[in-house]
Amino acid sequence: MLVKTYLIDDDTLSIYLTEQLLRAEEFSTSISTFHSAQQALGRLVQDTAGTPPQVVFLDLNMPLMNGWQFLDALQPYRQELLGRCHIYILTSSLALTDLEKAREYDLVSGLIHKPIDTEEIRAIQASLESPDIPEPM
Amino acid sequence: MNPRAVVVLDADGNLLRVTAGFAGLVQRPASELLHTNLAELLPGPETRLLPQLLREALSGRPVDFTAELPLQRGTITVLLLPRPAAAGQPAGLYGVAQPVGPEAATQLLLERQRQLATILDTTADVVFVLGVDDGQYRFLYVNHAFETTTGLPTGQVVGRLVTEIIPEPALGEVVQYYQQAVATRQTVTWQETSEYPNGRKTGEVSVTPVFGADGSCQLVGTVHDLTRQKEAEARLEASNERFHYALKATTDAVYDWNIAADTLYWGEGFEALFGHRLAQNPAPFHKWGDYVAPAEYARVVAGLRHAAFETSNVFWQERYCFQRADGSWAAVFDRGYILRDEQGRAFRMIGAMQDVSVQKEAEEQQRLLLKRLEKQNADLQQFTYIVSHNLRAPLANSLGYATLLGKVDKNSSVFEESLRHLHTSLQLLDAVVADVSSILSVRDQQGSLRPESVVLAEVCQQALQSLETQLAACGGQVLCYIPEHLAVMGSRAYFHSIFHNLLSNAIKYRADARPLRINIDATRQPDGRMQIRVEDNGQGFDPERGDVFQLYRRFHPDTPGRGIGLYLVKTHVESMNGHISVRSAVDAGTQFTLLF
Repeated sequence: MLVKTYLIDDDTLSIYLTEQLLRAEEFSTSISTFHSAQQALGRLVQDTAGTPPQVVFLDLNMPLMNGWQFLDALQPYRQELLGRCHIYILTSSLALTDLEKAREYDLVSGLIHKPIDTEEIRAIQASLESPDIPEPM
Repeated sequence: MNPRAVVVLDADGNLLRVTAGFAGLVQRPASELLHTNLAELLPGPETRLLPQLLREALSGRPVDFTAELPLQRGTITVLLLPRPAAAGQPAGLYGVAQPVGPEAATQLLLERQRQLATILDTTADVVFVLGVDDGQYRFLYVNHAFETTTGLPTGQVVGRLVTEIIPEPALGEVVQYYQQAVATRQTVTWQETSEYPNGRKTGEVSVTPVFGADGSCQLVGTVHDLTRQKEAEARLEASNERFHYALKATTDAVYDWNIAADTLYWGEGFEALFGHRLAQNPAPFHKWGDYVAPAEYARVVAGLRHAAFETSNVFWQERYCFQRADGSWAAVFDRGYILRDEQGRAFRMIGAMQDVSVQKEAEEQQRLLLKRLEKQNADLQQFTYIVSHNLRAPLANSLGYATLLGKVDKNSSVFEESLRHLHTSLQLLDAVVADVSSILSVRDQQGSLRPESVVLAEVCQQALQSLETQLAACGGQVLCYIPEHLAVMGSRAYFHSIFHNLLSNAIKYRADARPLRINIDATRQPDGRMQIRVEDNGQGFDPERGDVFQLYRRFHPDTPGRGIGLYLVKTHVESMNGHISVRSAVDAGTQFTLLF
């Protein structure tokens, strides 16, 4: 599988874990990891013209720029990204308000509580193969 | 012989001519009668009306009247006829007199008696006549008012002795006045209160002795009933007395504003509540206004005058500060009722000032307590949110690694690394639990903290000693300007923690470009509070980016730290009723200010 995937999280342990879980499920062989949202934003904007990532896993609670600020910063590129880039929020928070807020962004395809599990990975794979299947949100 | 008795009168009733018949009738020589006035000849009640009768007859309408002849020589009727003005003579009158026969005279007498009886029975005052006989007083006559006032029927009274009618103790007194009237031959007046079948009666009694030609004596008495007046007076007195005691009982300052005089009459409460001695009472209106808080003068004093003079309101109320004699301020609730005349003009206001200082203070304390509780609650909510989040992150990682370990080859490098990460995640989890435990222990002790005198310089030195190695390693310098013996009430352990955390933060977030300098000073403020400042020249931070004291708030992600130090500092400061604030600028330094 060559699903271009970005992992954005300030927590090194979490990034390593998610990457290994994705690899164990053979989700992708092209995973880029970013320890800050700003860093990821720069790369994503560059990619927008060419090949943006198909899947982005985005942590919410990060210093300097958090997940919401990252999403806001992506708004100017919304048209180019819609349908091509699926952003999944991956958070350790269980707050319901995050789920509510996530619905306001149409770039966000789903919200997953850490740690990501096999079913969730497979559901994302399935939705990428046939976009008609409802996304896990 | 029945000579005509005729007179000619001028307009004033003076006799110009008389016939012999008239002279005979009045038994005076005709010559004497000329130029006398008819009124002089016929003294008696009727002649008082003579001028009016003359005018009536002169106007052309004949009138007649009845009159008594002097010395009981009988009664006559006189017919007055107008006499038209003749050449050289003014208008006058003819008078035709005629004696009234004995029968007609009796008729007249009876008529007058009836009139008299009617008058006596319709008058509201009691009238009675007593026969005086050998020191005994017997009722000869009582009018109707006597019966209605006393409740004693006339039939039971007339003919009886006073001793049988008037009850003791009034009787003894009354008889003395009767004797006095008879002895002095003068009218005697006094006030008397007696119990009668109709109740207690108070009246002004007056008796006048009338002596007959034969030496017999009668007392004519009148009684003016004062009972109602007395009762009204008694009621007024009782109500005044009640008002007087109500004034004493109330702790309010009751006042009565006489608007015409612009004076305030104060109840005792005014002096008791505020301590002002009233040189005069009523006092001028401004004596009150002078003590209203200047900032509230326009609203209260001008407001009251506006309500009284510019509106038709009858109620007025205001809350304001009023200065006591000792200079302190009382919180006052003032309510008044404005009395207005028929045109709606205010002429008087009755009101009361209530000292609500105690309630107000309690309210203020309650408000502060509520504010503190609300803040504590918000803090607690935030604490719960943050802790749950920070517990959840390492927990989620641990769960994930546990799953991953089951999926990967036990001999792979991924397995080895994942096991290490699982271990780290569990340690982080443990650290958060330890943080929570230490924060909760500070919060728990907040109520039971026993303040001790803490010598600041000493505690600060101890904290510095524990950081000596790190300071030396970075070449940092600390200048401590805390006076040697300066002490503050609080917890020694908390102050140690505060200094330790602030100093280790200064070391941790120092600027690489310049050697670290830390200044510490403590001064007593003019308001008596202690101010401690810890200032460094480190990296600083942008205060706009959030609350530096919030739990797990990190400003420097590249420097290791959990974000609990400043949260603990704030918790320690606040548990000693202190306050902490911070000023900082990126790449300039940070200054913490603590107030106790």
